[in-house]
Amino acid sequence: MAHALREKAAISGVGETAYTRGTTKSGLALQLEASLNAIADAGLKPTDIDGIIPYFPGGGIAEDFVANLGLPDLTLSAFIPMGGATCVAALQTAAMAVATGVCKNVLISVGRTGYSGARVSTRLQQFPQFALAAEFELPIGMFAPAQLYAQGARRHMELYGTTARHMAEVAVVTRQHAMLNGNVVMDKPLTVEEYHASRMIADPFRLFDCSLESDGGAAVIVSASDRAKSLKKPLVTIMGVAEGHPESPASIAQRPDLLEFGLVKAAKRGFEMAGVGPRDMDVAEIYDCFTFTVIRQLEILGFCKTGEGGPFVMDGRIALGGELPINTHGGLLSQGHVVGLNHVIELTRQLRGEAGKAQVKDAGLGLVTGYGDMGDGSLAILRRAA
Amino acid sequence: MSTAPQAAAPERPMPIPTRESQPYWDGLREGKLMLQHCASCGRVRHYPRPVCPHCFSLESEFKEAPLTGKLHTWTVCHHPFNFFFKAQAPYIVALVDMDAGVRINAQLHGVEAASLKIGQPLKLAFEPVTAEITLPYFVSG
Repeated sequence: MAHALREKAAISGVGETAYTRGTTKSGLALQLEASLNAIADAGLKPTDIDGIIPYFPGGGIAEDFVANLGLPDLTLSAFIPMGGATCVAALQTAAMAVATGVCKNVLISVGRTGYSGARVSTRLQQFPQFALAAEFELPIGMFAPAQLYAQGARRHMELYGTTARHMAEVAVVTRQHAMLNGNVVMDKPLTVEEYHASRMIADPFRLFDCSLESDGGAAVIVSASDRAKSLKKPLVTIMGVAEGHPESPASIAQRPDLLEFGLVKAAKRGFEMAGVGPRDMDVAEIYDCFTFTVIRQLEILGFCKTGEGGPFVMDGRIALGGELPINTHGGLLSQGHVVGLNHVIELTRQLRGEAGKAQVKDAGLGLVTGYGDMGDGSLAILRRAA
Repeated sequence: MSTAPQAAAPERPMPIPTRESQPYWDGLREGKLMLQHCASCGRVRHYPRPVCPHCFSLESEFKEAPLTGKLHTWTVCHHPFNFFFKAQAPYIVALVDMDAGVRINAQLHGVEAASLKIGQPLKLAFEPVTAEITLPYFVSG
């Protein structure tokens, strides 16, 4: 029997601001600007929004949305504190809300001044999820995600022979895709040689293995599928969606297997709900806080076996025109860092046929992942339904 | 020669012990690795926390553990995300499978990064930083 949530909810609207490094706007202003763009994209009015899931901490809270958008009757206000896994996991909460009739239109939004405001290592000290790292690892010089995730990447390299060249391929292909987009922070070409010459941040991660610290906002609207059908844009339904939490969720150091992300659990549930498998995907938007994180998630999702993620990304396989085009917008590595909501937006546009120069021909089915907070994971599988 | 006033040295980030973790930090100050064990089922756990995830007992005791372990993985930190560590960079942070059955993450001193191999033996050492706080680091075992 089909899962009760399968295709009951749809992405009805998407919106973004310009992605920049440098802005005088507040995170909240960016978040509201993107939200208004998403509401207009859906053909809705701000007052049609009755559920809010803002990225937290950082940016606005439900009260800000009521005050700024004049929302007459908000029926759901929720936070999903999963770092980079938040936005895709929020699709699950939103889908449950619209499928049960608690809400009609749920707004998920992010606004951040990651370049012009507080930088990553300062910001994370405010997160309760990073309390253990702050007590036991910050004092020994280990706190930024680049440092915390580097140990897992090193272990993968030692165990399976994954190389810097494999990670370079993810960075270079993602940049090629960014250059087709028109709204990206990094719009100049990147070569494999430039990757290898870039400075080391936390070995094995070089500068170009790391996602951007940038300013920008992004938003999506989730509506019940039967309601979204009569809205402005082609119907893109949520076939499957799931979140997953790893063992030892607040400490990578104590996790039995450092490479066992929460996505292991989310992927199983998400694919089961959708009733499809990895081989059915036309396009994939993979959370790319680091190049290696993409390689490992491709393994977990079942595109290849554990240990084969490095060779898998080579030879054009993940580029446009390849077997599995990924991060067709330029991702967090080259477009901008809005915690992966830009990945949800890009997948929606691909399935609507609105992806411009980066359009995957006849894209009908795709997936998007989230990864964050020491290894939480999330997966959504979307389909063009009309 | 510059006559400009010297900028204040960046402050070292320090742990803030909690009610759960205080005995661990007390142990390091005394040059011991004290690890939390469940008083009911006896299993070791780290980092310290109130409830045993195996038998759900609220009772626990800290026992002295051997300082030896084997390298699980590592990173070499080049970019100092916290300015205090600028003078130390690049430095190795080793994640070690302690023989006691938990992992410890700490800097590794006196070993070349290029020579590191998963499984190589390492030993925990102690660096007193203040009267209250001693931080761990590793040396070759």
